[in-house]
Amino acid sequence: MKEVKHIVDTTLRDGEQSPGIALQVEDKVKIAKLLDDIGVYEIEAGIPMLGEAEEESIYRIMENRRKAKISVWSRMNINDVKRSLICRPDIIHIGTPVSYIQIYSKLKKNKGWVLKNILECVMEAKNQNVSVTVGFEDASRSDIGFLLSLTKELKKEGVDTIRIADTVGVLTPSRTKELLETIRMNTDMKLEIHIHNDLGMAVSNSIVGAKYGADLIDCTLFGIGERAGNCNLYDFVHSSESIFQFAMSKKEIRFVEKQVLEELKGAV
Amino acid sequence: MIQIIDNTLTAMDQFLPTKEDLHSFCELLITIGVDMIEMSVTAYKRMEFLPEEGKFLLNISDREDKNPYPGFYRYISRYGEVKDDFIPEIQLNDVREIVKLREFHGQKDIRIVGLDDLICYSYDKVMKEITRSLPGCNIIFCPENSYQCAGALAIHWAMNYGKSLTTSFAGCKNNAATEEVIMALRLAARHKPNRNLTVLPRLTALYEKITGQRVGNKKPVIGDKIFHVEAGIHADGIIKNPNTYEAFCPLCVGKSSKIIIGKHSGTKAIKLKLAEMKLPIPNESGIHSILGEVKLRCMTERKSLSDQEFYNLVLEVTSNERGQTYR
Repeated sequence: MKEVKHIVDTTLRDGEQSPGIALQVEDKVKIAKLLDDIGVYEIEAGIPMLGEAEEESIYRIMENRRKAKISVWSRMNINDVKRSLICRPDIIHIGTPVSYIQIYSKLKKNKGWVLKNILECVMEAKNQNVSVTVGFEDASRSDIGFLLSLTKELKKEGVDTIRIADTVGVLTPSRTKELLETIRMNTDMKLEIHIHNDLGMAVSNSIVGAKYGADLIDCTLFGIGERAGNCNLYDFVHSSESIFQFAMSKKEIRFVEKQVLEELKGAV
Repeated sequence: MIQIIDNTLTAMDQFLPTKEDLHSFCELLITIGVDMIEMSVTAYKRMEFLPEEGKFLLNISDREDKNPYPGFYRYISRYGEVKDDFIPEIQLNDVREIVKLREFHGQKDIRIVGLDDLICYSYDKVMKEITRSLPGCNIIFCPENSYQCAGALAIHWAMNYGKSLTTSFAGCKNNAATEEVIMALRLAARHKPNRNLTVLPRLTALYEKITGQRVGNKKPVIGDKIFHVEAGIHADGIIKNPNTYEAFCPLCVGKSSKIIIGKHSGTKAIKLKLAEMKLPIPNESGIHSILGEVKLRCMTERKSLSDQEFYNLVLEVTSNERGQTYR
């Protein structure tokens, strides 16, 4: 019996951030419907803070969805979370900086500030009865002790899924295994893995992540995304279908790719 | 010491590179940190002689064929009896085929090709078993890439088990991509950090010229657009500190970051682009007008804007605003 793994498709969020494309509302609705039809577990539909067109896309995707959970991406900022809540998604995903380079160098803040802000954001969403998943941004370059302490605090606040993001794509198979195993040993929360392809290892590290504790795997159609892209959905299923069970077949993914090539070709 | 053998020049027989192109290709491979270059007999004949710098391997189909081609460091062959300066090669398509390695017991070197789906199985156990089967042997691992995992397998092998790898530029031989392996080893193992990777754009252009095949825009390490940034949050981060959102410095691979104006741009990206293009930066209201028009234009045309398109848009918006002010 193969282990069941769920796909989180982020074509409409991380994928669309790839320079070269700008999807219209109709495009996003069409792509979401196709992904829903083949059994994608969660569709990351966009970022409400981007503006009215993005919000309209999310409303329309919510209206048209059949089975997939629809999530939106939000920065760890209370105003962003409030704006995301207006869309009434199934899930708000809050991207949380966890590496020291992001916390101290980019944001000029500290770990205490991160903890205070993420808990405040989570509480805001929870008070509105919306599920929250928390993304550990740049987890691959972070202090594991900090990740574990954050995980513990988030669990207390009712968060049940954390996303381990290899934001700059520097993980190797050994580091992926070590990271996932350590977090798995310290929490019973659901783990999601989000790998970038900067060193050409997005598919393999996603497989290693799935083998060592990730239940949810982030992918995009054609592997589009920032820089060298994300984990390619077709390649991931093709490479690991011998050990994992997925809701969709390779043939179905190819069918979706054909239907949306025109809209996404600028990012391929 | 990790050794990388690049076998791109065994994959170019169907093209017609010039002698000069092939010599330049070898020179550039050595510059980026390749330790040995493997070539086909056809490639060698086109080159006419071996470059002075570097170690070269010849891939031949029969050990008797080596006689007309002296001067190579070693010869690689999948056929015939293996002795002397030959490195035998074996294809393993399945982890259960590892038992076949017993036939090569006592061999000084061997190259293992295949095992493309190894990442799905107990890859550590298998790699350990391979090294145990051939004690004292220099095992050159050449994982194939049918499952997009060759790079990861090559890195895992080099960092934990063996010392030698076979790769090809852009992964053109359906194995790990040389440039990705070199960069990953540089970041993860500080392997040859002093090698010069700034020639990668020249090497890519030469590869494209020889093969007539275009390297994808998003190809890791060498793609034309891997350092293009549009999203507001990332553009801002990269300007403050490139390490925030880039695995390695674009300059070290002969490239530079470029802010692209598109649907996901924010006010900071607009200001940065205006400054980069030496255009006057309007007040906040002016910036918001430009941003609004950018988003509208991009959504309508389903694409990001080129620098020229952005320039024209800024002129249109600012002249409209001036017109409204003076009306």
